[in-house]
Amino acid sequence: MKRSVRRRLMVALRTAAALLLTILFLFPIYWLFMISFKTAEEIFAFPPKWWPSRIGFDTYAVLFKDGDAATVANSLVIAGASTLIAMFLGTLAAYSLARYRTGGEHLANWIISQRMVPPIAVVFPIFLLYVFFGWVDTHVGLILLYTAFNLPYVIWMMRGYILDIPRALEEAALVDGLTPWQVLWQVVLPMSRAGLFATAIFTFVFAWNEFIFALVLTRTEVTTYTVQVTHYFGGQSNFWAKISAMSVLGTLPIFIVVGFMQKYLVRGISMGAVKG
Amino acid sequence: MVQASHGRMAAAFRRALLPALAIVSMAFSGTALAQSAAQRAADAAKKICAGKTITIVWEAGLQSLDPLNFSGPKWEQLTGCKVKVVEVPTAEMFTKIMQEYRAGTGAYDALNVIPAWMPDLVQAGALENLESYVDKYGYRAELKTIAPTYRDNQMTVNGKIYGFPDDGDVFLFYYRKDLFARPDLQKAFKAKFNYDLAPPKTWKQFDDIGSFLTEALKAEGIYGGSFFREPPYTMFMFQERFRVEGGKFFDAGTMKATVNSAVGVKVLTEMRNENRFMPPGVEKFGFVENLAVFLDGKSAMTISWPPYGRFAAGYLSEEKALAWVPKSKIAGKVGYALPPGGHPELAAGFALSVASTSKQKEAAYLFIQWLNSEEISLQRVQLPYALRDPFRDSHYTDKDYMAKWPDAKEYLAALGEGAKTGLLDLSLIQTDKYEEAIRQGISKLWAGEDPKKILDEVAKQWDEITQRVGLDKQKAVYNAWAAKGGAYPK
Amino acid sequence: MPVLRKGRRDRDRVFRLALVAPSIAVLLLVGVFPLVYLIVVSFQNLTMSDTDTSFQGLLNYRLLLADARLWQSLLHTLVFIAVALPIELVLGLAMAQLFIERIPGRAVFVALLVLPVLVSPIVAGATWSLMFDNRFGPINQILGWFAGHPVSLLWTIRSELVYPAILVAEVWQWTPFMFLLLLAALAAVDRSQLEAAAIDGASWWRTFRQIVLPAIWPVMAVAILIRALDLFRLFDVVWALTKGGPGTMTETVSMFAYVRGFQQFETSYVAAVSLLIIVLLSTIVLWTLKRVELAR
Repeated sequence: MKRSVRRRLMVALRTAAALLLTILFLFPIYWLFMISFKTAEEIFAFPPKWWPSRIGFDTYAVLFKDGDAATVANSLVIAGASTLIAMFLGTLAAYSLARYRTGGEHLANWIISQRMVPPIAVVFPIFLLYVFFGWVDTHVGLILLYTAFNLPYVIWMMRGYILDIPRALEEAALVDGLTPWQVLWQVVLPMSRAGLFATAIFTFVFAWNEFIFALVLTRTEVTTYTVQVTHYFGGQSNFWAKISAMSVLGTLPIFIVVGFMQKYLVRGISMGAVKG
Repeated sequence: MVQASHGRMAAAFRRALLPALAIVSMAFSGTALAQSAAQRAADAAKKICAGKTITIVWEAGLQSLDPLNFSGPKWEQLTGCKVKVVEVPTAEMFTKIMQEYRAGTGAYDALNVIPAWMPDLVQAGALENLESYVDKYGYRAELKTIAPTYRDNQMTVNGKIYGFPDDGDVFLFYYRKDLFARPDLQKAFKAKFNYDLAPPKTWKQFDDIGSFLTEALKAEGIYGGSFFREPPYTMFMFQERFRVEGGKFFDAGTMKATVNSAVGVKVLTEMRNENRFMPPGVEKFGFVENLAVFLDGKSAMTISWPPYGRFAAGYLSEEKALAWVPKSKIAGKVGYALPPGGHPELAAGFALSVASTSKQKEAAYLFIQWLNSEEISLQRVQLPYALRDPFRDSHYTDKDYMAKWPDAKEYLAALGEGAKTGLLDLSLIQTDKYEEAIRQGISKLWAGEDPKKILDEVAKQWDEITQRVGLDKQKAVYNAWAAKGGAYPK
Repeated sequence: MPVLRKGRRDRDRVFRLALVAPSIAVLLLVGVFPLVYLIVVSFQNLTMSDTDTSFQGLLNYRLLLADARLWQSLLHTLVFIAVALPIELVLGLAMAQLFIERIPGRAVFVALLVLPVLVSPIVAGATWSLMFDNRFGPINQILGWFAGHPVSLLWTIRSELVYPAILVAEVWQWTPFMFLLLLAALAAVDRSQLEAAAIDGASWWRTFRQIVLPAIWPVMAVAILIRALDLFRLFDVVWALTKGGPGTMTETVSMFAYVRGFQQFETSYVAAVSLLIIVLLSTIVLWTLKRVELAR
């Protein structure tokens, strides 16, 4: 009796803690999102107003009408494609590094060293490179760049997750007659599903929120949402409602995707959970 | 007899010929003179760029609505030349222009540049010399009618034309004339300070009035004044105040920085003291925060760019593009004047230029001549959503503009005054580095550091920069700048 | 590794090389030229006005050694890493532990808690700037409620407040990163081992230290590494909140490079600085990796 009461108390406490954490972390998001519904006077009201007087979607309508919202589509395409490619190539490479120790430390270290290069420094030479290839202001250009940008992250993260998986299953599968390729696809990847999704989410996020390269390597055709938002910060103007509305538009798609994907994450969690 | 009549007829013919020729030639040149620069540009453009696209770099956001919604489509209608607008956030404009130039892409044809950048851009070779085009298309006359301060200070580098001033940015003084007119306040002020309550002519008066009003209007929650105290904006205000109080940036002979003179220390100290009667947290105010406080009626005096005047009057506030501007509670209550000292800073501003790596220089030039012309610029500065401010003599006296809101006449008059007495932004090689030093100094000031210490550090940094650039090189540029009418107050 | 015959080993070799080849190709395509460019340019003297590409020797390297502002920005960056990373790690781990066991609505909580990471860092910085605002932001307002009197803290202006303000914004945005990664790692911990330990009556701390930690270490180590490298590039949040001020007190090395390279076009100098950073980071990271065993 006492144990089950204690257990329920623990669950209640944990839920309360979870709620509190969520409120704390979400408060700034709430503040940001609410601005998209506030009038200019409400945004700069004193004392600060915690909720708008009415929920109006005019700003959103303007963003769609003016074509600003289309930049979110650009970002989706670019971040999405580069994530898929990076996850695919990167996970393959990670498996090779994890199980076969390909290239030993040198290769692994060279790979991670790519992430040690400050973007500011290489933005201009990459711009020159892209001018040469004609990739400036193209989708392909940014997709390629973000793929390269994220490969080190994917490789190292997936290597970690794959190392976590006991080899016994793979060895058993090999003995059973599966080819290494089949072992990778049918045994390893499903087992590292949680890691795959966790990695994919952030690979997408890194590409999604990237600014410097998107700024320099695009002009008018492929404006991404991160660059578009900065258009609303002016020296003599500050279109907070648009900044906020664009942020909502820019956050919602990933949020929905994450919402779907984390179901797999949670399932993965349940498999490793201690007590029910 | 016949010969004689021939001769008489010939003579008569000759007598008639000259006047006839004169009349005919006058008629022709009269047509040429009557044709405006705008028209000339449009006609020429029709011939060379119909169907082609020129690219122009413009400040992102509100400013871009001009070429996107008005001038771009109109130009295409008139000439068949298409205009592609590359919107770039202000903070990155210089970078993108230089990068595209350095990479030799030729991606940009026409440019918007801030005049203070022009020496650097010209030195780097990024801007096209416009002298020959100006002569070819007869634009000298209309260049002359740009308001003197902009014309004489924001157009040339080393005496050659590299850009057309296109934006009458100037710091104007805005005040609540209704508060200044209140008899109770006037009486109390006169009693305390022994002079009439009126727009301050000196900074001492500003301090007097500001502290007085904050105290007197405490119950109403109104402060005597507020400014945009964020470092980038205060940097401009410091430049103005420092010079108005008699300061010189450099010693003209040795090129040593003298920004840390007693004048500089005085200015910084006074600025910090003023914050005491301003809204708490004013140190963080940017353009929009300060605007919000002013339009809410909570500050009696402020200094800012011309848009404040239009926004305060509620001019076309229903315009969608201006939805970010808080509704003005003070329409009709705002007075306009020159800031204390009478020499407002021509802070930032914009000029239209042609990129030296453009593959369509002529077409780009024609577009900017058209944009900048009397006829078109008058329309552009009246666009409800644009941030371009009046910059031609004719703008300040335009009947339509004067009718836009009850006090528009005074507004334009004040702007016109400012354009006569305005002070030019410091403009050297690597200007941004010098400005950066001041910006950092301002941030230290708000953090509580000692003004003298701050300015000594600024002066030290300035001297280092000058050394890096090359003392003699910079001295020449500085002296050329200092020789301009708007460099130091007369 | 199971014992293999030579034929099989050859096939394996092709297999494992084929797995890494495309990744390496992409990295080389985009990575080689910039690096070469940086090296070459760092020995020249390209500035805003000067495109002279003659060899200048160690000019830039000598300059950067003497550049106090550069080294200060490095120090500031290290301070940020040293404070933010442990907080994010511990907090993220604690949150992961909280959510590893089922609670009602867990799926919703986890999804919501990822939101901070999804907001563009530039916008996050701007939002926190507004929230910290004295007049228009709720932070001071809330503090005032707790304190019982109006609070007027200048979070982004005063020297003693700027670091806390930046750290709050930074930790807020990236703790969810650690949280999610560690959650996925905790999911892979062997249930049977945990149950055995529970039966043995082991304390929570011992279970954690001897079973959980070693199990999640590969992922945790990489998460720390990635986060540290990203913190080294800290820019947007600081820029939005303080622009490096007051003075250059909060200037990070990325901001230093941005101003000099992007705005003032000291191309060669920044190239030298970047190479210095790459060398420094590589050395530190490789040294750390050698000491820390990643694979079992």
